[in-house]
Amino acid sequence: MLNKLQEVNKQAALNTSRALSKLIGRPVVVEISRPVLKKVEEVSPIINPEEIVAAIYLPVTGAIKGASLLIFPKETAFALSDLLVKREPGTTRKLTDLDKSALKEVGNILSGSYLSVLSNMLQVKIIEHMPQFSFDMFGAVTSQVISEFAQEAEEALIVKIEFTFKPIRLKGYFLLLFRQEEINAIIGSLKEQRAASNR
Amino acid sequence: MADIEVKIGEIVVAEGRDTILASGIGSCVVITIYDPRLKMGAMAHAMLPSRDGVGNPIKEGGRHGENGIKDARYVDTAINEMLKKMENRGAKREDLEAKIVGGANMFSSFESDIGRDNVLSAKEKLKKEGLNKAGECVGGSQGRSVEFSVGSGIVTVKTKF
Repeated sequence: MLNKLQEVNKQAALNTSRALSKLIGRPVVVEISRPVLKKVEEVSPIINPEEIVAAIYLPVTGAIKGASLLIFPKETAFALSDLLVKREPGTTRKLTDLDKSALKEVGNILSGSYLSVLSNMLQVKIIEHMPQFSFDMFGAVTSQVISEFAQEAEEALIVKIEFTFKPIRLKGYFLLLFRQEEINAIIGSLKEQRAASNR
Repeated sequence: MADIEVKIGEIVVAEGRDTILASGIGSCVVITIYDPRLKMGAMAHAMLPSRDGVGNPIKEGGRHGENGIKDARYVDTAINEMLKKMENRGAKREDLEAKIVGGANMFSSFESDIGRDNVLSAKEKLKKEGLNKAGECVGGSQGRSVEFSVGSGIVTVKTKF
């Protein structure tokens, strides 16, 4: 099952890179980690929990229920806003409603890129919902997302996406949390369908 | 004298001049229980209001050996375990003071308000166990960090904006 998701990763990385590059007008390098199964509270501490970040949360429903969380450290969020809203670099020092909308759009693109590949590969419908925004400590924003997820699942399949906006070295992180049982069930069903059509 | 960090789902019991820390608390709640007579304190960092009654026993062990206890993800079971550990070390329930920090709502459009539920669960459980609630810093929509100085019983709460 994890190998199947690696195939998704490769295609999603390509789609995401193209979509973000088009949005921003410069190359974006996307690296997607191998999916890992972990207890939800052990989501890797990629950033100091007290560091201020811009966080965009998108719930996912349909055949696969889960969540995606896009994280930009504060300075990255400011620099990315300059790029997205076409300001001089170094201008943004406080996020306006326009900046938040632009960052939420990045979240939509990332989530959409990954989930559309997953949806096509598994031949199921996946529904993304409206992105929500928070600007606060990394630990605080992730704790609510994983707590919500933890109400229904002890473990989650976690995919970490790291992207770099060239030539400026800006890094962001994208966490996807899925319930393994649902993905296993769908892949199992897909295998049965293929086996039946081969007879 | 040591700084001891408590992550989500963990409990720490400490004595003397130690400081127990929890960073970046959103919807989770941090519960501190302090014994001013023994200069002993415990902190739990819980993410969900209540265990449903079905599940595994609390697991022992963790980063601090006997002190660090994992699987305290539920407010009610975390409080049970904190009391058990402190009373095993000689604490008397009538001496104990509890404080609650956290329970924020970081994303306002969530269907459920798990932060609020965590706070309610903590208050109900502390009342049920007969503990004095000495203070709280809860709710709102901002993240917090907590430092619990076991020597003095003082809980310092920090936000950033």
